[in-house]
Amino acid sequence: MSKAAKRVEIKAQKRLKSLVRDYFLNLDAAADDSDRKVAWCTSVGPCELLVAFGFEVYFPENHGALLGARKVSHEYIPRAVGEGYCAESCSYMTSDIGSSLAGYSPLTEAFGIAGPPKPDVLAYSTNQCREVQDWWSYFGRKHDAPVVGVCPPAHLGAITPDHVKFVRGELVRIIERIESHFGMKLDHAKLEEAVALSSKASSLWRDVLDTARARPSPMTFSDGLIHMSPVILMRGSQIAIDYYEDLLAELKQRRDDGVAAVPDERFRLYWDGMPVWPKLRELSDKFFDLRAVIAASTYCNSWAFDEYDGGDPLDWMAKTSIEIFINRDEGFKQSFLTEMFERFDIDGAVFHNARTCPNNTNSRFGMPQRLRETLDKPVVVFDGDLSDVRFFSTAQTMTNIEAFIEQLEERKR
Amino acid sequence: MSGPLFVGVDVGSSATKCVVLRGDGALAGHHAVPSGFDYGESVATALDRALESAEASRDDVAYCVSTGYGRRKVEIADRQVTEITCHARGAREWYPQVRNIIDVGGQDTKVIRINEKGQMTDYRMNAKCAAGTGTFLESIAVKLGMSLTDIDALAMDSKADAVVNSYCTVFAGTEVIERIKEGQAKEDISMGLFRSIASRVSEMIPAPDGAVGVTGGVVAHCRAMVRALEEVLKTDILLPPMPQHAGAYGAALLAMESSKTSKGAEGVC
Ligand code: SF4
Repeated sequence: MSKAAKRVEIKAQKRLKSLVRDYFLNLDAAADDSDRKVAWCTSVGPCELLVAFGFEVYFPENHGALLGARKVSHEYIPRAVGEGYCAESCSYMTSDIGSSLAGYSPLTEAFGIAGPPKPDVLAYSTNQCREVQDWWSYFGRKHDAPVVGVCPPAHLGAITPDHVKFVRGELVRIIERIESHFGMKLDHAKLEEAVALSSKASSLWRDVLDTARARPSPMTFSDGLIHMSPVILMRGSQIAIDYYEDLLAELKQRRDDGVAAVPDERFRLYWDGMPVWPKLRELSDKFFDLRAVIAASTYCNSWAFDEYDGGDPLDWMAKTSIEIFINRDEGFKQSFLTEMFERFDIDGAVFHNARTCPNNTNSRFGMPQRLRETLDKPVVVFDGDLSDVRFFSTAQTMTNIEAFIEQLEERKR
Repeated sequence: MSGPLFVGVDVGSSATKCVVLRGDGALAGHHAVPSGFDYGESVATALDRALESAEASRDDVAYCVSTGYGRRKVEIADRQVTEITCHARGAREWYPQVRNIIDVGGQDTKVIRINEKGQMTDYRMNAKCAAGTGTFLESIAVKLGMSLTDIDALAMDSKADAVVNSYCTVFAGTEVIERIKEGQAKEDISMGLFRSIASRVSEMIPAPDGAVGVTGGVVAHCRAMVRALEEVLKTDILLPPMPQHAGAYGAALLAMESSKTSKGAEGVC
């Protein structure tokens, strides 16, 4: 491609940096303040409840991703393995536990804080995987803090009212535990407000992702990975909404002006599975050079929930928490992917088989083959990991990706 | 020397191969050297020797395509193409009816599926480990104090089954010792190693229908590999005339095709 082709940076990114910084500094201050409380929460866990109770919410998976992006996970994983955590279990978990044992945190270099805030409570949902339950339990023991969780029905096809009722019951149980442990009372108006704000941010995030339907796409997967922080970290706050309103306006403008995330876009790809955080830049450059845009992904869509239109906020929380892609059966997943391929006019799909995250890997039960056959689209699977570079071969993966593009070129001829 | 020449250079992890074709597609020369530590040097040697065998010099090269893991080390290349596409192109030229191509290389193994139009429809590469590759055989041969050729010769005399179940090089090494302790014949144990690779390869065949062809260094040097694949896949295997050079041959064919489109056409990377 033209060597002169350059990325046009998304301007909102500058503001995002300061938002994320403020978020971590606030968490750090809260952890030091005896009048304030910190809760740890899984990325699609019962965050709105915690916000309504007045906790500052921290997301350990984000710390796992930061360790990966800093390319240091593999240095800390052995510490967790030494504690009895399998080297092939979630590398977010093992690197997070290992770095804690080693007294290291990327938050120190990035924001000048000692590390993750000490939790007063840890809340999880196994709607994504059972690993989080044990990960949270480790830190619950370490910090002598209560661990509360929802274990919803998993791998669902259709969602029934019984499923929702069951999860709602689990949420009520969490509320009761928090109320009795901390002597607090949940303010239902605050919960409604948190859910409304969370839902609004999530809808805006969906609209942001939708701008990639344009040809050329104004954003790509790596942009999505950068800009998804507010919808996770600042869920239930007005800050996330304000940010996405601005980002959406900018992306719509880029789209209308024909600003391409990948100049001379030739192919539109779908990414399924976890990102490869330590190799994000290399992979993004490779696709950029090949003039292929990753226009949509399962991962970034994980935080695009259904809208809240009033009613019982606990029902909304229960329903959205089990509706997510990762918690569904293969039939649902195949329909979802088929719809996404059509919606984003996808030429082919890249499946990441992440060694330590079978939960967010969808190439283990014949999905790529079925999609290839039913949609007549090329699909490639590559082996890697979200954080642990020891499971990733750069040369092999790059060859795999280049061969995939050659396959797409051949079909175009 | 007559007419412009088209060159394919395949820089693999074990060997660097070069094929030179005339304008009509006829083979003018070829050469292979170990890749060693210095890819630049092995490329230069393979290229110059192949050109020598074609009674030509670098000035006669009209277009060059490089492939293989070291494809970026080939300065003379006008275009770089992955070994997956090149092996498919080379094998297809030799056997137009081929639908599955198995490339058993030193460092990795690939299975490529092509349709009746000759288009690549699917491919698989082995996971990041030695299982199913030439490295698996070499490591165990070293452990037994033998060469690959010795193991191959022994395996071809095998009369009975000796099963080596493990794909893992380390575990397979232990299993070999077990089989020796059990008193199994070394010929049968050797064949068991080739069958272990064939069994790993069989998992990578996306659709085991249609003609199957093999390429790569391992099948070039080990007849037992072809026999094991035939046994495990239960089909005849097409073994081309220069299996080790299939990638370089495919690259040279693509060089001919690329030069027709445009000299200096843009590569994929
Ligand atoms: S979904 Fe995967 S990456 Fe995320 S916490 Fe669970 S195992 Fe780890």
